[in-house]
Amino acid sequence: MQEFLTYSIYGTAFFLMLLGLYAVLMKKNLVKIVIGLTVLDSGLNLLFVAVGYISGGTAPIFSPAVVGKHVIMTDPVPQALVLTAIVIGFGVTAVALALVVRLYRKHNTTNIDEIKNLKW
Amino acid sequence: MVITDPVYFIALPLLTAFLLPLFGKIYKPLIGIIPGLVFAFLAYISFDLYLNLVPGKPIIIQMAGWAPPWGINLVFSEFSGLIVTLITFLAFLVWVYSYNFKKVGFDNSKKYFTLLMLMVAGSIGVVLTGDIFNMFVFLEITAIYSYGLTAFYKGRDSAEAAFKYLLLGSLSSVFILLAILLLYKQVGTLNMADIAVKAQSIDPKMKSIIAILFFVGLGIEAEMFPMNGWVPDAYSQAPGPVAASFAGMLAKSGIYALIRVFYTVLEVKGVFDLLLIMGLLTIIFAEFSAMRQKHLRRMLAYSSIGQMGLIMVAFSFNTKAGIFAGLFLMFNHAIIKTLLFLSSGFLTYSTKQKKIRDLDGFGKIMPFTSLMFGLGAFAIVGLPPFSGFWGKLNMLVATADSNLYFVIALILLVAVVEIVYYFKVIGRLYFRQQHKDVEVHNPTWNAILAMSILAIVIIGVGIYPDLITDYLTKATNELFDKAGYIHSVLPNLSLN
Amino acid sequence: MKKVVVIGSLGVIVYYLLSAFVAIPFGADIIKGVKEFYLQKSPDDLKVANVVTSIVVNFRGFDTLGEVTVLFLASTALGSILYHRRSQHSGLNPQRTSVEASAIVQTGAKIIFPFTVILGAYIFIHGHLTPGGGFQGGAIIATGFLLMLISYRKFFIKHNALTWIEAIAGSTFVILGLFGLIYAKNHDFLENFLPAGKLNDLLSGGIIGIIYIAVGFKVGAEITGILDTLLTVKETGLDPEEN
Repeated sequence: MQEFLTYSIYGTAFFLMLLGLYAVLMKKNLVKIVIGLTVLDSGLNLLFVAVGYISGGTAPIFSPAVVGKHVIMTDPVPQALVLTAIVIGFGVTAVALALVVRLYRKHNTTNIDEIKNLKW
Repeated sequence: MVITDPVYFIALPLLTAFLLPLFGKIYKPLIGIIPGLVFAFLAYISFDLYLNLVPGKPIIIQMAGWAPPWGINLVFSEFSGLIVTLITFLAFLVWVYSYNFKKVGFDNSKKYFTLLMLMVAGSIGVVLTGDIFNMFVFLEITAIYSYGLTAFYKGRDSAEAAFKYLLLGSLSSVFILLAILLLYKQVGTLNMADIAVKAQSIDPKMKSIIAILFFVGLGIEAEMFPMNGWVPDAYSQAPGPVAASFAGMLAKSGIYALIRVFYTVLEVKGVFDLLLIMGLLTIIFAEFSAMRQKHLRRMLAYSSIGQMGLIMVAFSFNTKAGIFAGLFLMFNHAIIKTLLFLSSGFLTYSTKQKKIRDLDGFGKIMPFTSLMFGLGAFAIVGLPPFSGFWGKLNMLVATADSNLYFVIALILLVAVVEIVYYFKVIGRLYFRQQHKDVEVHNPTWNAILAMSILAIVIIGVGIYPDLITDYLTKATNELFDKAGYIHSVLPNLSLN
Repeated sequence: MKKVVVIGSLGVIVYYLLSAFVAIPFGADIIKGVKEFYLQKSPDDLKVANVVTSIVVNFRGFDTLGEVTVLFLASTALGSILYHRRSQHSGLNPQRTSVEASAIVQTGAKIIFPFTVILGAYIFIHGHLTPGGGFQGGAIIATGFLLMLISYRKFFIKHNALTWIEAIAGSTFVILGLFGLIYAKNHDFLENFLPAGKLNDLLSGGIIGIIYIAVGFKVGAEITGILDTLLTVKETGLDPEEN
């Protein structure tokens, strides 16, 4: 059971990352490339949260229902890190979309094959 | 005592950047003046702190009252302090140069100065922090700065260059995050010194995977071959002072992160051989590409990659002589490349197509800028009596120490290549008839001031290298002394 | 052909990474690291129920300052990437969509909007007690504004106000941190200098709650600003400035 969970959950996260990377490398549409980046980020974030999980653990919050009892809590550090990673991903995506708008205004297309003033 | 806290290097620029839009509402010229005051103050306190640093006793600052490894800490040591001093000094000069950048107007100069402040905070953060995830956050700050400012001017292919960089930068951040995650799950901590202690127990196979992830991720930031496709485009499309800040500050923080991770945090067998090979490939690729460039900025960008390759090779020896040479090269690269980019800003501004052949005869019509460019070119190829000479000389000594004679041959060959393409430009500047239709933009007084200060530093260090060798030696000892770093961050730890 | 090569090489990379990760069994509590310290100190010393919040704002508060900076940087960079010179701005069509949303959407948006903002505010005010915090609450507030922006063609956001909120909230964070240098016990940046209070009280955790509220305001203002900038760009045609 443990092994199955390990493979399936990490596998899902890596599948998402693979999907995102594939879109970044192969897609011709700039918007699809940006979507690929966000999918890549989601996979990574999922991986972070999954790695921080501890079997039978609850959320690391000492609410009144939990205080004073002995409970297992999941690892809070990856959860804090993933929050940072999400925010950074958001910032990068926003800048990427702004650049896509600029490129579209200049070339009137979002096809990467037609935007080749610089060598890719 | 409060005033000498290294936390000001990050808190103060951030506070200024947050408040800068409000200053602009009160009185418009404040937008330009306040960043200058802050940069001047930062440069002053960094010099002050650095000169008063007691050897072997780095200043360790903990955050939020938690001692490392629980809280984030800042380490102002001989090595990181040197880089921070360099960054604040260059930031001040870049500000002096771009103070009345009238071309872009009020709204944009507000954004430009805000972004510049944030970038300075970010690159100082990368250098000072003692926490690996914190380093990643600051690296991302510098990265987003570069995406934004590469695309600053419209009407060029700047958005394309920025998008290209953004794609590679995102991949780099994914690699770094994966490495950090694996590392955290192995040792349960994010503090660099603590990781360095516990890293010995990591399974070697796992360790090498982590090392490769860090290598690729940080290599993109440090302009390593083959992940440096973004560099020439970004450098050539960004405004002049921004390109100077890329070369002077961003590339420095990238290589610093790479060095810190592999010297202090993770000791992996074979990583320095890999660094040597990649560094050599970077040099060969960059210098021969630079020779073929027709655009001045692209040529400078490739030359910059070549210098970074040389720095990587110097650090890959893993000897004291190598580190010393690498630090000298880093210092030279920061100062000289900044001068070259700043002077090329006015040279290319006056040409239409920014090509090298448009520069014919500029030595007569723009004497000062051409002189500065020529001086920078002489210095970067390593001719005496400029500081570049001592960097290359130390590099050759260090290579000979490590018995890598083919590397010596390669460095000399590359120096010849550098001489060829830089002298091509100088020849055009001074020994050609000028074109008719040039619109001369002579540098403003503040740009002249900034370039003169850099030139004075280059000549001063060139004539009297002892000005800095003492500090570089101290920084070398600090970087080489891993146990000392761990001990000063975690004083209560018993090393057994 | 290119496809096969790309998929093949990606597959190899992912295989190696996955093999590294499956060495960490899912859900196993194998490391004894800093987390034990955080789980113990957060309720005992800081009196903050939500351990993730205490890590984000206190133990690793410096990261969060960087995070806030990243957002601020992104919104400034966005502005510098998409700017229009004043003279040409007046010639642009400031309307975001070509058609007005239907009456049902408009009425619904108007009803939902205040509740969305209140929910966002609730989430960042209770960031130290319940799941959520400044970033999440700010994002929720921004979705409320997004709803209004896409439902009404004439819903304009005052950028002046956003600038003020961003500046004040951001500097609150840094200044509270700098106060720690003077007033707190260890004289550290971002250290708590207010009384910690009682666990699970709204007024607990000292500066942690205040910082998270500032972060909430800043994030809300910034994401709203980013959305507004992206929505008001000219939609069709080539930009004369670019060519």
